[in-house]
Amino acid sequence: MASQPSPSGPRVTCAYLNQYVGKNVTVVGKVVQLLGEQATIDADGIITAFLNREAHLSANSGVQLIGKVNEDFSIRALSAIDLGPGVDYNLANAVVEVAHRFKPIFISEK
Amino acid sequence: MSGSQQGGSQAGGNKYSEDNLRPVTIKQLLDFQENFPGAEPAIDGQPLSQVTFVGQVRDVKQQATNITYTIDDGTAEIDVKKWIDSEADGNVVIAPDAFVRVWGRLKAVGSKKHLSAQFIRQIEDYNEVSYHMLEVVYVHLYFTKGKQGGGAGAGGAGGGGESMFVDQGYGANDVAMGNTADGNSTLQAKLAMCSKNARTVGNFINTTPGGDEDGVNLHVIAKGTGLSHRDVLNASQELLDQGIIYTTSDEETWAVLLY
Repeated sequence: MASQPSPSGPRVTCAYLNQYVGKNVTVVGKVVQLLGEQATIDADGIITAFLNREAHLSANSGVQLIGKVNEDFSIRALSAIDLGPGVDYNLANAVVEVAHRFKPIFISEK
Repeated sequence: MSGSQQGGSQAGGNKYSEDNLRPVTIKQLLDFQENFPGAEPAIDGQPLSQVTFVGQVRDVKQQATNITYTIDDGTAEIDVKKWIDSEADGNVVIAPDAFVRVWGRLKAVGSKKHLSAQFIRQIEDYNEVSYHMLEVVYVHLYFTKGKQGGGAGAGGAGGGGESMFVDQGYGANDVAMGNTADGNSTLQAKLAMCSKNARTVGNFINTTPGGDEDGVNLHVIAKGTGLSHRDVLNASQELLDQGIIYTTSDEETWAVLLY
């Protein structure tokens, strides 16, 4: 029995965005800058994200973004959760690399 | 190597002795292959008993006897039922979007799978989520590629490759010589806790004729494994401390302690 793909999408870093244009992804990164509803996130590279109004993020904290990848590799966030200041970004990036090496465990191909 | 041995002994074995708690992704839980109808669920050839995963709560349904959470870990979604314990006051309902750690058993009703949770708690530190995902891969590799080889150990790059080759050689010998699965897996389990050199020496003594009675001399081990005398002595001391080998005719001759 094949599993349904998760609505939150695969875990990615900046480098993998081009593979997922038009699809949902999960990004864990650091909030570099907040400008209204636009945020700059560092996830092994700089990503621009468009947030919704409910998002309560703070600069230099971790964030988990779930959203759709636009043509220009920015992300339209469906959800943005503050992860606080203690996030190990190298660890989170390692998870992304490992998830792409072991796709049968982590990533459902559509 | 150990996978096939455990798989083989499992048929007549006692289930409780194989109870384990395995870290998984939800996708692994939903994808597992059933070799024949009614077969025990297995991942990577290992029978599943209890599993643990982490994820985010997407939906909460409170019912009279249980709380059903829909959990999404970024790989797939599954329903988790937590039965309400009327005598405990730990029946706190976890809110949507929270990260949680769950453990329990996989249940299938018809074609729909859910997890019957023994335990569910909120995760305070996001790094636990990352940690869990890496642990999942570690356990997957452990079962599919065998025990941690020399290459992954603390040894130098060149020596690592060499020792992996040697380990495989001894592994093949074990099977060829028809060593009993039980004694061997106990030994392998103990050796898995040791350093790379100690594993090499332990396997060498075990597979050398006489290694279980008369013992094998330092010089023979050094020559057979390509390790220096000092390395063999250090490794032997480690194995002695672990109670894996014992000295026989003199202080530099050892045999494997079998159970």
